[in-house]
Amino acid sequence: MPNVPLEMIWWVLGLPLIGFLLQAFLGKKIIDTLGHRYGKKIVGTMAVLPIAAAFLLGIGITANLAQFPPGERNVVLTLFSWIEIMSIKIPFEVVVDPLSMTMVLIITGIGSLIHLYATGYMGDEKDYSRFFTYLNLFIACMLILVLGNNLALLFIGWEGVGVCSYLLIGFWFKDLNNSRAANKAFIVNRIGDVGLTLGMFILVLMMAGNAERLGLTDGRWLSYDVLLPNMVEVFKDQPFLTATVALLLFVGACGKSAQFPLYLWLPDAMAGPTPVSALIHAATMVTAGVFLLNRMSVLFELSPFASAIIAIIGAFTALFAALIAFGQTDIKKVLAYSTVSQLGFMFIACGAGAYWAGMFHVTTHAFFKALLFLGAGAVIYAMAHEQDMRKYGNLLKYLPITGACMLVAWVAISGLAVPFLFGFAGFYSKETILGGALAGQHAIAGGINLGMIAGWVGLLVAMLTAFYMTRMTWMTFFGKQERWRLADGPSHDHGDSHHADHEAHDENAHHAHEDHGPDVHGFFYTEAEMARRAELEEHDHHHDIEPTHEPKEVGPAMWIPLAVLGVLSVIGGWFLYSGDRFKKWLYPNGLTVLPPEVVPKYPEWETLLMFLSIGAALAGVLLGWHFYKKGLPEREGWDLAKWHPFRRAAANQFHYDQKMVDGSLKGGAQLGEMLNRTDKGFIDGMVNGIAWLTGLFGNLLKRFQTGNVRWYAAMMLLGGIGVLGYLWWVALKLGGA
Amino acid sequence: METTTGFGLLSLVTFLPLIGAILLMCIPQQFEKFHKVMAMSITIATFIISLQILNVFESRSFHFQLVEFIPWIKQWGLHYRVGIDGISLWLVLLTTFLTVVATTFSLYVNKRVKAYMIMLLLLETSMLGVFVSLDLILFYAFFEASLIPMALMIWIWGGERRNYAAIKFFIFTFVGSIFMLIGMIALFLLHKDATGIASFSLIDIQDAVATGKLWEGAENLHALQGLLFWAFAVAFIVKCPMFPVHTWLPDAHVEAPTAGSIILAGVLLKMGTYGMLRFCLPLFPDVLPNNVFWLMLLATIGIIYGAIVAAVQPDVKKLVAYSSVAHMGFVVLGIFSLSHTGMQGGAMQQLNHGISTGALFLLIGLIYERRHTRMFKDFGGLKSQMPIFSALFLIIMLSSVGLPGTNGFIGEFLALMGAFESGFSGVMGFSWWLPAIAATGVILAAVYLLWMFQKMFYGSNSNPENKRLKDLKPWEIALVGTLVVFVFWGGLYPNTFLKPMESSIAATRLMALGGVNGRPSWKNLNHEVDPKGNLVQVSPRAPGGSLLPYTVERIVTPAQLHHRYDPPDMDRVPRQGPPQIQGNRDLPPAVALNSGGPSTP
Repeated sequence: MPNVPLEMIWWVLGLPLIGFLLQAFLGKKIIDTLGHRYGKKIVGTMAVLPIAAAFLLGIGITANLAQFPPGERNVVLTLFSWIEIMSIKIPFEVVVDPLSMTMVLIITGIGSLIHLYATGYMGDEKDYSRFFTYLNLFIACMLILVLGNNLALLFIGWEGVGVCSYLLIGFWFKDLNNSRAANKAFIVNRIGDVGLTLGMFILVLMMAGNAERLGLTDGRWLSYDVLLPNMVEVFKDQPFLTATVALLLFVGACGKSAQFPLYLWLPDAMAGPTPVSALIHAATMVTAGVFLLNRMSVLFELSPFASAIIAIIGAFTALFAALIAFGQTDIKKVLAYSTVSQLGFMFIACGAGAYWAGMFHVTTHAFFKALLFLGAGAVIYAMAHEQDMRKYGNLLKYLPITGACMLVAWVAISGLAVPFLFGFAGFYSKETILGGALAGQHAIAGGINLGMIAGWVGLLVAMLTAFYMTRMTWMTFFGKQERWRLADGPSHDHGDSHHADHEAHDENAHHAHEDHGPDVHGFFYTEAEMARRAELEEHDHHHDIEPTHEPKEVGPAMWIPLAVLGVLSVIGGWFLYSGDRFKKWLYPNGLTVLPPEVVPKYPEWETLLMFLSIGAALAGVLLGWHFYKKGLPEREGWDLAKWHPFRRAAANQFHYDQKMVDGSLKGGAQLGEMLNRTDKGFIDGMVNGIAWLTGLFGNLLKRFQTGNVRWYAAMMLLGGIGVLGYLWWVALKLGGA
Repeated sequence: METTTGFGLLSLVTFLPLIGAILLMCIPQQFEKFHKVMAMSITIATFIISLQILNVFESRSFHFQLVEFIPWIKQWGLHYRVGIDGISLWLVLLTTFLTVVATTFSLYVNKRVKAYMIMLLLLETSMLGVFVSLDLILFYAFFEASLIPMALMIWIWGGERRNYAAIKFFIFTFVGSIFMLIGMIALFLLHKDATGIASFSLIDIQDAVATGKLWEGAENLHALQGLLFWAFAVAFIVKCPMFPVHTWLPDAHVEAPTAGSIILAGVLLKMGTYGMLRFCLPLFPDVLPNNVFWLMLLATIGIIYGAIVAAVQPDVKKLVAYSSVAHMGFVVLGIFSLSHTGMQGGAMQQLNHGISTGALFLLIGLIYERRHTRMFKDFGGLKSQMPIFSALFLIIMLSSVGLPGTNGFIGEFLALMGAFESGFSGVMGFSWWLPAIAATGVILAAVYLLWMFQKMFYGSNSNPENKRLKDLKPWEIALVGTLVVFVFWGGLYPNTFLKPMESSIAATRLMALGGVNGRPSWKNLNHEVDPKGNLVQVSPRAPGGSLLPYTVERIVTPAQLHHRYDPPDMDRVPRQGPPQIQGNRDLPPAVALNSGGPSTP
C-alpha cells in the first residue's frame, strides 16, 4: 500500500470540485462539439475519473492513518480562515480520523461505482452533462460534510448536499410533480436544519461562556478538536440543557436521515433518476444523520434521555416504514421505505449507545442498498421504464446478471446466515445493533429501558424486512407469470423518465402568433430559428410497456458496478466484523463517557441472539415465499378495492403524509391570503387616514394627482424653505439666549 | 482621523455623479445614446475612484477616516463634515457598485432618457451623501434628498399605479424622517445646554454622550432619551422597512423601473439600518435595554409575516419585495442583538441583501424587458428555454435562501447566532424564543423562493410567447456574473468584508453598552479598540504621524460592561420582556464572548 501523505486530503476534496467545474463550464460544449456519441463518452469519463481518483487517494490516506497509534489518529489540517471575528473563529479545516475516512471511502467508492453505472443509465439523456455536474457537486459537498472539522463546515456540506438532492430530484423538471418532490425534500430538510442551527448556537454559547474557566482562547468554538474534549466539562450537571442540545441536533439528523416525523420527503425523492436514488437517497446523504450522531457521540452519551428518545423514534420509524413497504407496488418505493426502515435501525443503535454498530450498518447498508437500487434501475431500464412490480415476473430468465446480483442483495438485507460459520453483510450489522440495544443500559428515560424495547421492535422489523424484500424479489424475478405480457394492467402513473412534455399540444393551439413589434434588442428567435429549434427538440414521448417487449440484459457499464457491490454484500460484513475490526478502527479506546458495561458489545446470550435473528430472517423469507411463490396474488392486483384494508392504508402511508402536506399547504395558503388581504386593507386605510387627517398632505396628495411635476418641485422647495426658516428662528433664539 | 480641510477623496466620490448630472443637463435630450454612455462612464468612474478608499482605509481603527471639514454656518455649528468608518465603508462601495449595475441595465430605457440618467446620478450623490455625512443636518438633507429622485423615478417611469406608489413612498418616508429632524434639533439643544458649544456634529454630540455630559442636565432623563431614541428609530424603521410600516415597499417596487428597484432594495433600505447603527446605538445608550425588545419583536414579526405574505403573491417582483421585509428583519435582529457576533452579522447582511436582492431585481428586469410581464401565470418551463438565465437565477435564489457557501448564509447565521446568544442570557431584555422564532423564517424563505423558482422555470414551457425567447446576451451574463462573483466571495471568504468593519462594530457596541467613561468616543483620538474588543487608551500620536500601529497605554475598563458571562441555567427562567432599569445607569451585563478580556474588578 503506498503511503499517501495526509495532506493529499485536499485533493480528495478538490478533485470532485474540479470535476464539477469542468462539467459545469465545459460539459455541454464538449457534447455539442463532438456529438452525442463521443462527447458523452468523454464527459462520462470526466465525471467518473475524479471520483475514482479521490477513492484511490482515500485508500492511501486511510492506510497511512492506520499506521498511527490508535490515540493519535486524529489530524486536523487548516486551509484558510473562513469566518474570523472577535467573538468566534471558524477556519476552513478538515479532520482526518477513522470516522471521516470511513465515510470518505464509502462516498468515493460507492460514488465512483454509481457514476460509472450512470454513464450507462443516463446514456440517452439530452442533459447528460447537467446530470454529472450535479452529481460531482454532490460528492464534493458530501466530502465537506464528513471531512470538515467544525459544525459550521458540516453545515455547508449538509445544506450543499440538500441542494444537490433538490436539483437531482427535480432533474426532469418538465414534470411539475418532480419539482414538487424536490421542493418538499428541500423544505422538510430545512426544518431539520433549523434544529441543527439552534443546537449549534447553544453549543457556541456554552463554549464561549465557559471559555475562561476552561482556559480556551482561540475562539474556535465549533471545531471538534476544541468542542469534543471539553464537552463533558461544559455540560456537567446540566441534564436539561444537554438533552435540549442533543435533541436539537437530532432534529437535524431526523430531517436528513428521514426519521419520523420528517421522513416524508424520502419516498417522494424517488422521482429523481435511479442512480441518484442509489447514491444520495440510500448510500450516502441519508446516512449523514448517523454520521452526525457518531461525530457528536460524547454529547449523546451525556444524555440518556435524549438517547432513549432517539432509540424509540428509530424503532418506530423502522416499524412504520416496514409496514408501509408492504403496500407499495412501485419497486423504487419499496426500496425507499426499506431505506427509511434501515435508517431506523441505525438510529436504534446510536440511541442505545452502540455508535459503531450504527456506522457498521451505514457501511453494509451502503453496499446492499446501493446494489438493490442499481439493480432495480437495471430492471427498470430493461423494462422500458416500467416501475410497477405488477408488470414484472420471471425476470431472472431475461436478466441473469442483474438478477443474480439482486438476489445476493436480497439475502444480504434479509440478514441470512449460516450459524457459527458465515453471514451476509446485513446479518452482522443487524445482529450488532440488536445485541447492543437489547443488552444496553444507556437509553433509559423515566426508569424505562427504551433502548431494550427498541431492540425487540428491531427484531420484529428484521422479520418484516425479510418478508417484504422476499415479496419484492419474488414478484420481480420469480414465478412463471410474465405479467407485462398480460393485457389487464391499466396504464398507470410512471416515475422515471416519464417527463413527456406536453408542449406539442399547446403549440398548435396558439400557433397563430399575434403581430409582434420589431425586435430591436434581439431578444427573440426569428421564425426560421424557431422552426429549427422545434426540429432539434426531442419529443421523447413515454410509451407504456408493450406486451411484446423482450427484456434484455444491461451493458457492462451497468452490471460491473452491480457485480462489485454484490461481492461486497457477500463478504463486506464478515470482513469488517471478524476480529471486531470495525469497532477497533472507529472507537479504539471505547466511548468517552459510557463505561463498557453500560453499552456491552453483545448480550450474554450471544448464541441465542444469533439464532433469534437468523430465525426472524428465515421466518420472513418463508412467509414471503409462501405468499408470493405463485406470482402476484389476486388480492394485490390492479383493482385496489380488492386489497386488504390494511394494505390499502399502508399504500397511502396510513394517510400521514397526506394529512401533513394538505394541512400545511391549505393552512399556509389560507394564512397567507388572509395576511395579504390585511396588508392591502391596512395600507390604504393608513395612507388615506394620514391624507385625510393632515391638510398639508391632503393638499400634496391632490397636487400629486394633477400630475404636475413643477408643482411638486415647488412644494418641496417651499417645504425646504420652511424647515430652514424654522432652523434660523431656533438658532436666533438660542443665540439670543 | 486625518482631517483634510477642503475637498478630498470622499467629496470627489460623492459629488462626481452630481457633476455628471449637471453635465448631462447641458446636453440636448435627443442624444439618447450619449446620455446612456455618459451616465455609465460617470458611474463606472465613481466606482473605480471609490475603490481607492480601500487602499487608504485603515481597518484597525474605529475612528472616522478621510474626514473632510469645511466651515459653513458657524452660528449653528452646522458644517460640511464627511468621513467614513468601517460600517459606512462597505455601504459606500455597495452604492457605487450597484449604481453601475443599475445604470448599465438602464441601457434598455427608452422613455425620457436624459431625465432618467440625471435622476440616477442625483440619486447616487444623495445616497453616498447619507453614508459619508458626519453632520446631523447634512445627513438629514441627503436622507431627504434621496427621496426626490427615487419618488420621481417611480412617478415618471413607473407602472400603472405609479401615482399611488410614488405618493405612498414619499409620505411614508417623509413623515418618518420628520421625527428624526425634531430629534436632531433636540440633540443640538441638549448639547448646547451641556457644553455651551453649538454643534450639529455627530462626533461632538457622541462625545458628550460618551462622557455622560449630554444627558446630565436633562430632567426626566429616561423619558426624554427614550422619546428621542424613538424619534430616530421611527425614521429608520420606516426606511428599513419594518412591520407594520413596510407597506410602501411592495407598491414602490412593483411600480418602480428596474434600475429604481435595484437601487431601492440594494441601497435605500440600508439607509434605515445604517441609521440605526450610526445614531440609535451610540447616542442613546441608557435607554437601549428598555426598548430593544420592541425592535426585536417587530423584526421577528417582519421576518415571519414578510415571508408568509411573499408566498402568496402572483407577481414575482412583489414576492421579492416582501422577501426584503423578511431579510431586513434579520439585519435589525442582528444589530439590536447588541452582541458582537450579531452586530457583525447584521452589518454583513446589509451588504448581502444589497447584492442578492439587487441581483434578483436585475434578473426580473431582464425578463421583464423581454416579456413585459412579471406574473407567474405567464411563465413556467423557462429552464429549457433559457438555461444560462435559469442557472444564474438559481444561484441568486439560493443566496437569498441563505445557503451556506453563499453570502446570504454568513449574515443570517451570525445575526441569528448573536441574537440567540443575547436572548439566551436574557440580559438585553428579550428572550431566546424571539430569535428562535425568527430562525423558522429560514424555512419560510425556502418555501416562497423555491416556489418562485418552480413557477418560473420548472414545468413545461407551454406559453408560446416564451418559446421565442433567446437566452441572455453576453453582456447581460457578464453583468449578472459580477454579482454572482460577490455572492460566492461573500460566502467563501467573508473576512474581506468582516475585517474592515470589525473595529467600528466593536466600538459601536461599546458605545451602546459601556457605562459612562467606558464608552469609546469618536472625538477622543486616544481611544481605540484592541483585537479582543476592549477599549484601550493609546499613546497620543504625533501630529501628522501615521494612524496606526499604536502602543497601548492601558486598557480602559468599561464601567459597567462586564466581560464575564454566566452560563445559562435553564432552571432559572430567562427574563422576558423589557426589564425595568433600576437606578440610573445600572446596565445589565453584556454577553462578552471575548474570553481573553480583562476581568471585572
